[in-house]
Amino acid sequence: MSLARSVRLIWWVTWFNVRMLLVSEFFVLLTFVSPLIFATLAFFLFRLGHSTGGQTLLYAALGSGMMGVWSTTLFGCGGAIAWQRWEGTLELLVNAPTRYDFILAGQAFGAVIFGFAGILMTIAWGMLLFGMPLTSTFPLLLPLSLFAAVVSLGALGMLIATSFVLYRHANALSNMLEYPIWLVAGLLVPIATLPAWVQPISWLLAPTWGMDAIRGATLQSQPPWFAIGMCFALAVVYYFLARVALRYVLHLARRDATLDLR
Amino acid sequence: MNAFAPRCPTPHASDGPLAIEAVDLVRIYHTHTGVIRRRPLDVEAVRGVSFNVRPGELLGPNGAGKTTTIKMLITLLLPTSGSARVMGYDVVRDTTDVRRRIGYVFGGDRGLYDRVSGLDNLRYFAELYGVDPAQRDRRIAALLELVGLTGRENEKVEGFSRGMRQRLHIARGLLHDPQVIFMDEPSIGLDPIGARELRQTVKTLVEAGKTVLLTTHYMFEADALCDRIAVINDGRIVASGTGDDLKQAVLNRTIVEIETFGVAPEAVDRLRDDPEVIAVNTEERDQSQILLVQSERGPEITQRLLGTLGDTRIGKVVAREPTLEDAYVHLIASTTRSDGAERAAALG
Repeated sequence: MSLARSVRLIWWVTWFNVRMLLVSEFFVLLTFVSPLIFATLAFFLFRLGHSTGGQTLLYAALGSGMMGVWSTTLFGCGGAIAWQRWEGTLELLVNAPTRYDFILAGQAFGAVIFGFAGILMTIAWGMLLFGMPLTSTFPLLLPLSLFAAVVSLGALGMLIATSFVLYRHANALSNMLEYPIWLVAGLLVPIATLPAWVQPISWLLAPTWGMDAIRGATLQSQPPWFAIGMCFALAVVYYFLARVALRYVLHLARRDATLDLR
Repeated sequence: MNAFAPRCPTPHASDGPLAIEAVDLVRIYHTHTGVIRRRPLDVEAVRGVSFNVRPGELLGPNGAGKTTTIKMLITLLLPTSGSARVMGYDVVRDTTDVRRRIGYVFGGDRGLYDRVSGLDNLRYFAELYGVDPAQRDRRIAALLELVGLTGRENEKVEGFSRGMRQRLHIARGLLHDPQVIFMDEPSIGLDPIGARELRQTVKTLVEAGKTVLLTTHYMFEADALCDRIAVINDGRIVASGTGDDLKQAVLNRTIVEIETFGVAPEAVDRLRDDPEVIAVNTEERDQSQILLVQSERGPEITQRLLGTLGDTRIGKVVAREPTLEDAYVHLIASTTRSDGAERAAALG
């Protein structure tokens, strides 16, 4: 498959998945409403702690938005496979004469991009209701930081989705991973405040470095080059792990006849 | 066209390549019984199915194991043993080559994205199937015309009737202009008009030189559409050939259809015990039961049958020539009986 054809395929699947998420009330609530509730709670908590500075509010808004991105990634990648299994389209996608890893990548990017739209909503919410200023210490690096975060979260979403291809009850895994990752990735509480043994786990997670990259470009005094680099590095690792796992999982699915099980 | 044997010889070079070639396909599902004390259970869904289909032919397997057979042929399932090739490509090793050349259409409500339009569904699958972007819209328009959905393509699929969904399925399966089309019970749940339109579409495809492998529960559909028919029962092909070939098995019989109201099982058993009666099948209708009695005696047996039923309230009675459906019932009944006898013998 040519590079142009591959890019076109991933783009089409991404766009189609965004449209499918847009018509789902569950994902609209998960992506656009939940982060607003988290952000509001965080704003009031910080106010109670007398931390009402503009940067603190932006820190909380970005963290809340990223919580929504993670939830959408988790449910949008894994849940989409479960839903396709239910709709009977999973067999058709697997059976398409194209690379299924590209289809899965497009679905993951669709979910992540949709999730990032929630961050914009959270920032607008903070500005309108709490007078949060929108500042960026490295405005030119902000698009790159966002792109790096999308790529790394998309690749992680693809890896998670792989398990859903094989196991119809893998949503138990996604439910279990939602809240712990919010904490471990330092989305609302700095990682430094967590126990030392947790920190190596944080370093393996895309949301940690995605959040670092975005906060670095908006709030920090040093450019977030390291976090951006880690996002891309992790994306490569996740992608190759997902490809290896997918090959194995598709073989098992054909052997065990699990693709159409509901 | 002659009947083909379950195990076909490799075709001569001049015969041209086979569209589908299955040799001793076996598929065993490993599952389990029980919740707390789970015991492994192996279900043999397909037990050595072999058949060949040449380009431009239709074949109609019916009965247990047909979906599993199709799923092995379209590369969605790995055979437990045996082998199969589609357009010369191995279904286990050459999955991408097989997938490029096949279309898969199944019946029922599933397999479409309900919340977007029919056109969006087709555009999406066109990308997945690698349809040339320059040709895509023209191809979709032609397929919408073929399946009679022109003008409805911008409606959401969730508002489609079952017949419209089925036609959209067919359009989806033909997007990449496949050489071989697998249709797994495409007419299931369709109303008579929808089923008739579907049959017309299938005929058009065959006339266009496509190879269609179609499974169906409806014998008249197989008779009308298929050049060759294979009957599968309990994972094995029990008979194959043209519709006329299959009918040969019951050609010398008369079928007496007796409409009854509240017939007692003992009365049906008395009919079965009649030495002149070969088989009795019962079909439940709303208020009545239709007894289909097969005999070699001709229509004159009718009075005797009615006498055997005693006080049973009788409605319409018709004596007629056997159809393909009667042949199918005969084949399934006889193979099920012989399987049962084999199992009983094996158990001692």
